[in-house]
Amino acid sequence: MSVDQETIAESISALPLPRKVMDNLTHELKNVKVTKRQFDEILKRTAATYDYSRIEAGEAAGVVSAQSIGEPGTQMTMRTFHYAGVAEINVTLGLPRLIEIVDARKNPSTPMMTIFLEKDYAFDRDKARELAWKIEATYITVLGSMSTDITEMKLIIELNKKSLLQRNMTTKEVADKIEEELGVSSEIEEDVLIMRPEESSYRQLLQLVKSVQSVILKGIKGIKRVVIRKEESGEYVLYTEGSALKEVLAIDGVDATRTRTNNISEIFEVMGIEAARASLIHEATETLKEQGLTVDVRHIMLVADIMTVDGDVKPIGRHGISGEKASVLARAAFEVTVSHLLDSGLGGDVDELRGVTENVIVGQPIRLGTGNVKLIAKKPVKGE
Amino acid sequence: MIETKFTRYERARIIGARALQISMGAPVLIKVDRKEPIDIAMMELEKGVIPITVKRTLKEKN
Repeated sequence: MSVDQETIAESISALPLPRKVMDNLTHELKNVKVTKRQFDEILKRTAATYDYSRIEAGEAAGVVSAQSIGEPGTQMTMRTFHYAGVAEINVTLGLPRLIEIVDARKNPSTPMMTIFLEKDYAFDRDKARELAWKIEATYITVLGSMSTDITEMKLIIELNKKSLLQRNMTTKEVADKIEEELGVSSEIEEDVLIMRPEESSYRQLLQLVKSVQSVILKGIKGIKRVVIRKEESGEYVLYTEGSALKEVLAIDGVDATRTRTNNISEIFEVMGIEAARASLIHEATETLKEQGLTVDVRHIMLVADIMTVDGDVKPIGRHGISGEKASVLARAAFEVTVSHLLDSGLGGDVDELRGVTENVIVGQPIRLGTGNVKLIAKKPVKGE
Repeated sequence: MIETKFTRYERARIIGARALQISMGAPVLIKVDRKEPIDIAMMELEKGVIPITVKRTLKEKN
């Protein structure tokens, strides 16, 4: 006799467990036949394992986290600045990347995106390629060659038919785009564009060459290269060098639920603080995993939580967490001791002595573990 | 009030405080043949006869 799905769902939702654990449990028990006794045992053990995994009140969670991330950090390769990562795209990994994450840099040294496609596009090579061309920034230099005619003061652009066809563009489109961006019209002769600068001076001509070269004819600014890769699932995924999340998400066929960038501040701007937190955790875990190190997520989660508590991604260190501590003594212990003490002395600041550092300086027990326990006399129970 | 389990830190503090009392001559509340105050305190805690408990605060008072 097995327990039916309804009772399973009901008893699981009554347990004092976090959502994720309950969801996993429900998922695992789907279409599995269990007897009442087995089911009770499962619940009992799940609850016990969850309880065992919890830390006790008063535990020095921060210090444990710091050590648990710091120790594997010492084993990381010091400078793998450029390590050939996914599909020929260079990605900063290892220690430099971890430092970048913890410092909450506005722009990572190697921005990269992983673009997932919607069902209709993901399994179709041609459609995937079409999207890739739509995303990759195309400049005139890849479409043809440019030459200047100094006697006639004109700029001649010879377009390559094959490149045009590949990118699904026409000569007219190229000419229109350039006119739209620069306001310079051109004469079209089959595959050749001829342009003249407003004034016919040599300097103006050179200027024109430069500005034509910088016009983005197709694609998104900031995305230098797109690589298409077929994943094991048979799905085509685009990897890009350069990142522009907002623009990429606006394109039809891009799966906005899975597409990601390694630029955390960009995720924060586009999708908000919770997404930034999740991405901090993801990036840090992946960086460590790539080096063959496993750190319990909860340590990384604590770091990510502290970085994002007040609704903004703050770095750990001088300009962030350590530099903004409320306690004067804690700040003085960290860096530039004298000026902190002097400033707070002049301002008449008060130190509440709540943190660890302050109490160590003062010589009091710190408020952690046994130091945080307050004993009181128990009233004797009547009749005993 | 619901009696919850003590954390390990609370247990350590209670045993420590009680052992100090015993070592300074406080009457022992159970029958034991051991001499070490720490051991006695631990056995007392197990039986729940120690007249000490903890005060837990959720928020700090100013």
